[in-house]
Amino acid sequence: MSWISTQFSHHWRNFNIGAVIVLSIGLVFGPSAIGSFISQSILTGLYYPFFKVRSSYEMLASQASANAQLRESLTEASLKISLFSEALRENERLRSALGFEQPPGYRLMPAEVISVSGYQTPVAAIINRGSYNMIQLNQPVINQDGLIGRISSVTPDFATVQFLTDPTNRIAARIASSREMGIVKYVVDEGMILDNFPLHGSVKVGDTVLSSGLGGVYPAGLTVGLVTSVEHNEEEPFCRIIIEPTANFHSIEELFVLEAENRP
Amino acid sequence: MKLIPYIVYLALIALHTVILNDLICVYSIGINLTAFITMAVAISKSETTSLWFGFIAGLVTLAGHPELMGTCALMTALLGFIAFHTRERLNLESLYSKLLLVLTGVFLHNAALILVANRSEFFYLLFVIALPGAIYTTLLAWIYFLAREGRLTFQKIRSVF
Repeated sequence: MSWISTQFSHHWRNFNIGAVIVLSIGLVFGPSAIGSFISQSILTGLYYPFFKVRSSYEMLASQASANAQLRESLTEASLKISLFSEALRENERLRSALGFEQPPGYRLMPAEVISVSGYQTPVAAIINRGSYNMIQLNQPVINQDGLIGRISSVTPDFATVQFLTDPTNRIAARIASSREMGIVKYVVDEGMILDNFPLHGSVKVGDTVLSSGLGGVYPAGLTVGLVTSVEHNEEEPFCRIIIEPTANFHSIEELFVLEAENRP
Repeated sequence: MKLIPYIVYLALIALHTVILNDLICVYSIGINLTAFITMAVAISKSETTSLWFGFIAGLVTLAGHPELMGTCALMTALLGFIAFHTRERLNLESLYSKLLLVLTGVFLHNAALILVANRSEFFYLLFVIALPGAIYTTLLAWIYFLAREGRLTFQKIRSVF
């Protein structure tokens, strides 16, 4: 027994070297089941926590990437929805404009508003039609709600529309029911009024005010507004009539320039 | 208790194989941490420890490839054995001699792994993967030995900045 022990301690180094070589050769040439078992044991015991960490990290990275893509898609979709909503509103406006009857003897030339000017109340707008489109000074401009104004200046590509709300603009008008006439003008702080209307003329709240056709700029029969207030002051020669324009000058986007059919 | 550092080394090899290798790999040139740790063990421990640690480290390194595991274990054990005897016969007090030993050992280990795994492009991979990998690992070894000898400390690094 002691001989074995002595031999073992003397040959301990050779035993280690031999064991490593035998084990290695056994793994290389031995049954693959042993190699697979050792491999599985190492993978399960040593590698598994790190695999878990890596797969969790990769999953998080993948989720982050997917999240970024979804955010991008959401922004894109929001933008598209916004554009589609705007197109829908434009479509509704244009459909309503389609049903609008143009005055006899005139053609409608559609135009888009590029910019609007005016402090508190819009007084003028620039449209995307100019002398290249045969636009001329003083041509009346309307929309589906009624009279808007007239062309006040023209360049080759653009034209300026002077609104009814411009205090320097005047329109010869009449009450639709009584046919009595006056002059529509816009007064700052008071709004649109029908001036020069006879004190005992026939007018009541709710009456429609139309262009009379006098003056040669605006054709007769275009809706200007509705009477909202009538004041009879015996000391004054005329009635004080306040009217509400039928067109909303704050939300104008598409306009129609009236073009006389018999124009040279 | 004496086994705990070796288990930590093996865990470090597994961590490097699964996670770190992809992060610190430069143009498919990676650090051969198995060879480096085996040689670090061989430089400071006994022949038997170097031999067995090399063997087990080889098993752990190629645990995902059971058909190559035995060969890798034998090669890494041989690396530990040779590194130990080189240390015994040469004066390794100098840092550069240790680095030269690491460079040679890692290069030979890389070369042997390439020979086993991909014999057809051996000479190409020897210069594209094995040699740059050995240099990369030697850089790591340089930092390790400097830190171990106390010539590279956190305070010194901080003082630079």
